[in-house]
Amino acid sequence: MTIARFDRPATPDASGIRGFRRGFQFLRQPSWRGLLLVTPALLTMAVFVIVPAVVSVGGTFFAADGALSLANYRDFFGNPQSVGNLTFTVEVTLTTLIWLLVVGLAIALYLRFSRSRLVAAIQVLALFPLFVPGIIASFALIRFLGPTGWLPTALKAVGIDAYQTPYLHAGGAIIGLIWQELPMTVLLLTAGLAQVNNRAIEAARDVGAGFATTLIHIVLPQVFRSIVVAACLGALDIFGSFTVPYILGPAAPQMMAIYMQRTFNELHRPGAAETQAAVTFMVCIVIGALYTAFVFRDSANNTEPAK
Amino acid sequence: MATLSLQSVTRKFGAVAAVHDLTLDVADGEFVCLLGPSGCGKSTALRLVGGFEEPDGGDILIDGASTVSVPPNRRATGMVFQSHALWSHMTVFGNIAFGLKLRKLPAHTIRRKVADVLTLLSLEGLERRYPRQLSGGQQQRVALARSLVLEPKILLLDEPFSALDAHLRVRLREELKAIQRRLRQTTVFVTHDQEEALTLADRIAVMNQGAIEQIGTPGAVYERPETLFVAGFIGTMNVMPASIDGEGLNAGPFHLALGERRPDLPAAGRLDLGARPEDIEIVAPDEADAPGLVEQVIDLGPVRQVLVACDGGRRLKAQVGRQAPVTLGQGVGLRLQRGLIYSDGARPVEIEPHEMASVLPFRRFAGRRRVDEARH
Amino acid sequence: MSGPVATLRKNGDVLTGSLLLGALVLFIAMPLVGVLIWAFAEQWRSPALLPTAWGLKFWHLLLGRADVQSSFPLSLILASIVTALAAVLCLPAAYAFARTDFPGRRAMLLSAITVHAFPRFPLYVSIAVIFLSLGLIGTATAVVIVQLVFSMLYLIWIPTAAFRGVDRRLEEAARDVGASHLTVLLRITLPQVAPALGAALLLTFVNAFYEVEGALLVGIPDIRTLPIVMLSLITGQVIVQYGAVLSVMLWVPSVMLLIFARRMFDSRTFAAGLSV
Repeated sequence: MTIARFDRPATPDASGIRGFRRGFQFLRQPSWRGLLLVTPALLTMAVFVIVPAVVSVGGTFFAADGALSLANYRDFFGNPQSVGNLTFTVEVTLTTLIWLLVVGLAIALYLRFSRSRLVAAIQVLALFPLFVPGIIASFALIRFLGPTGWLPTALKAVGIDAYQTPYLHAGGAIIGLIWQELPMTVLLLTAGLAQVNNRAIEAARDVGAGFATTLIHIVLPQVFRSIVVAACLGALDIFGSFTVPYILGPAAPQMMAIYMQRTFNELHRPGAAETQAAVTFMVCIVIGALYTAFVFRDSANNTEPAK
Repeated sequence: MATLSLQSVTRKFGAVAAVHDLTLDVADGEFVCLLGPSGCGKSTALRLVGGFEEPDGGDILIDGASTVSVPPNRRATGMVFQSHALWSHMTVFGNIAFGLKLRKLPAHTIRRKVADVLTLLSLEGLERRYPRQLSGGQQQRVALARSLVLEPKILLLDEPFSALDAHLRVRLREELKAIQRRLRQTTVFVTHDQEEALTLADRIAVMNQGAIEQIGTPGAVYERPETLFVAGFIGTMNVMPASIDGEGLNAGPFHLALGERRPDLPAAGRLDLGARPEDIEIVAPDEADAPGLVEQVIDLGPVRQVLVACDGGRRLKAQVGRQAPVTLGQGVGLRLQRGLIYSDGARPVEIEPHEMASVLPFRRFAGRRRVDEARH
Repeated sequence: MSGPVATLRKNGDVLTGSLLLGALVLFIAMPLVGVLIWAFAEQWRSPALLPTAWGLKFWHLLLGRADVQSSFPLSLILASIVTALAAVLCLPAAYAFARTDFPGRRAMLLSAITVHAFPRFPLYVSIAVIFLSLGLIGTATAVVIVQLVFSMLYLIWIPTAAFRGVDRRLEEAARDVGASHLTVLLRITLPQVAPALGAALLLTFVNAFYEVEGALLVGIPDIRTLPIVMLSLITGQVIVQYGAVLSVMLWVPSVMLLIFARRMFDSRTFAAGLSV
C-alpha cells in the first residue's frame, strides 16, 4: 500500500481505486492553506532581514542629498584605515584558510585511512569545537596562549623563554578562527574522502604507486571538489566573523565585522557602517559566485552520459 | 611469464579462517580459475597473491621468490577488480599510462605501449575519454589494459565481468582467453560462475570454506567431481542416498545388480550416488531400471532437461535430445548409465551398471562437454 | 594484521595518529581544561603550573555582581521569548513545507536557506541601521527580533524533516475511526515529532542564550545579556576567574543539552529536511 506523498506534485498512486481517490483528495486540498501557514515565518524573515539588507545596501549608492552616487564608496576606499581593515580581513581569511585546509586535510585523511583505535579520539576532539560557544572558546585561548597563559608558563618551566603571545595580534585571531572552523572543515573533507573508492587506491598501489604518489595523484584530485567547498564555506564564515577576532585579535587593523561594530556603536556613524557592510557583502558574493560557478561546472563534468 | 606457488597459505580474520592451508601451483602461462560460492575465500586468496592482504601462515612464491615482505606496489602482479576501479579524474590514456609513468619510461615509449594495448583490447580512439563516458564493457577493457600494459608476471582478475550483462560477459570472456593465450600470460581468475570457469580455465580450483576441494581440468572436474560439494557446484547433479547390499546397488529409485563389478567401498558410513542428467537415459518402461512420470520438460536450447517423478517421491533430472518425443505426464523409464558413489573420506567410485567390461571407457553423450584429452 | 609490511604500516599508523592526537589535545582540549581549572582556582600565579589555592570564592563573588545578577534572568527571559515566537512562526510553516504543496514552495525554502548563506554580521549591521532610524536601538524588542530571525532556519528545517518522517498510516487509521483533523494532529502527529521538535526548540533556546553579536550591536547600552557581560569581563577585567566561572556556568548545561539534541535526531532526519 503506497501512501500518497503530499510533498510532491500529485502522482496518483497506481494501486487501484483507493490510490486514485487519495491522489484526487490531494488535488482537492487547497494549497492556500499551506501558503497561509508559511506566510508569517517568511514575512518575518522578509521584513526583518531581506528588506533591511536590500534597503541598507541600496542606500549606500545614494549620497546624503538623495542623488545616485558612489560617494560612500569613494570615502571608504579613500580612507586608509578602511582599506587597511579590508586588506587585513582578506589576509587573515586567506591565512586561516590555508592552515585550516592543511590541518583539516591531515585529520580527514587520517580518519579515512587509519585502522587504529586512535580514530575515535581524534574524531571527537576535532569536532569538539562545535559544542563550544565562541566567547568561551576565545576566553579559553586567552588563558592558554596569552602572555600569562598556561602555555608560556609550561614553556618557561622547561626553560623556553622566547614565547611571543599571538594574543591581540593577527595570530590570535587566526588561531581562534582555526579553532572555530576546524570541525566544519573536517566534516566537509571527510565527506568528500568517503567518496574515494578503496579499489581505486588499491589499483594505484597495484600499478606501483607508493604512499605519497597515491595521495597526490589519486586521492587529492578526487577530493578536490570537497576542498573547494570547504574553502569557500570557510572563507564566507571567516570573512564576516566577529566574536573571535574581537576578543583575540588586534585593535588595529581590525577585521571588517569589528570595524562595523565600532563604527556603529562607538563612532555613531551608521552610514559608514552600512557601506562597510555592503563592501563585506560584495566580497562574500564574489566568493559565493566562485563557489556556485565551480559547483555548476563540476556537476556538468560529472554527469554520466546515458548508456 | 612466471610461475605462482601458494604454499599452505592461511589468512584469518579474527577467529575465522578465510583461507586455510591453501596450496596451489600455477604453471607458466597457465590460466587457473578459483571457483566457489561467496565466502569461500577465493577473493581473499587472490588478494593475498596481489599483496593486498598478508598471510598469517604459509608463503606465496612468484617465480620461486617469496613475496612475504613485498608490498603490492612492488609486486609484479596486476589486478583487475570487479568494479573497474578506474581513476575518474584521468582519461583512458592517463589511466593506462599512469603505471608506465611511475616507471619513468620515456614519453614516446609510453605512447607506443598504450597504443598497442588499446589496439589489443579494441579500444582505439578512446584515449581522450573519461571513465564516466565509457560503457561498462569498455571500462572493464580499460581496467584490463591498465594491468596488461605493465606486463605483469601474474595477472589477477576478481570477478571482472560479473557486473556486465550476459552477452557482453560471453564476448569479453572470449577476448580475454584469446589475449591470454597470445601473451602466454599466467593468470588467476576468480569467479562464482561455473560456466565462466569451465570456458576459460586450463585448470579449475573449486573452493569451499577457505580450502580447495578439487583442482583439475574443466573436463576432469566435470566428469569426476571428487566431493559432493564439487558435484553439486559444477553442472547439475542428481544426488540420492545409496546403499549396497547383497543384491546390488540401491540408490533412489534404482535397484541394480552389480555382480562381480561390485565396487570397493567401505562397509559402514553414508553413501550417496551422484548421476548427471546426461547419464540418465529415458527409455521405454520395459527397458528401464526404474519407472517414472514426466513432470516437467525444460527446453535448454541444444538439449532438453526432463524432470521425472519416481517411486518414493524422488524427482530426477534426465537429459534428452532436442527432438526426443517426451511429453508431460508421459510414463517413462529411467536407465542409469553412469554414476559416482560418494562415501565419507574416500574418493568417489565410478559405476556403469550397463557396461560389460570392468574398465570403464570414456563415453560421450549428447550435451556433455568436450574435454581436451591432451590436458589430462 | 600480520606480516612485516602490515606491521610497519600499523606502526606508522599509530605514530601519525599519536602525533595528531597530541596536537589536538594541546590545541583543543588543554585550553578548555585550563578554563575548568581556573573556575575553581582561588590563587594561580605564574610560574605555577597549577593553582596554589582552590575554592569556590569567585563563584560567590561573580554571582554577587549586580551586572551578572541582572543579566542572567534577562538572558533567560529573552531566550525564552525568542524560542516561543520562533516556535509560533516556524512550526506551522514546517508543517506546511512538509506536507502540502503550494506555489512558490521550493522558492521559499531555498530563500530561507539562502538568507543563512550570507555573512551574518553585515546583515546585523543592516538591520541595526534600520532599527536606529526606528529608535529601537537599546531595546529588548530589537534584541529579540535580531535573535529571532536567525533562529528560524533551524526551527523550520528540523521540524520539516520530523513532520516528513511521520507515519501517515497511523494518521489515516485515526481518521478512519472518526477522529477530526485537530485530534489527529494533537494525538497522533505531535507525539511522533515531539522528540525532534523538543530538540530543535532546545537548540533554538541555547543558540539565543549564547548569541552575542546581534545583542551587542542592537542591545547596548541598555540591554546587556549575559554573554555581553561576559564579553566585557573577558576583555576588560583583570580577574581571570570571573571569565572562567562564567564559562563553566554557561557551557556545561549547553553541552548536556546539545548531546541530548544530537541523540534525538540522526543524519537521516537532517537529509530529509534538506530535500527540496
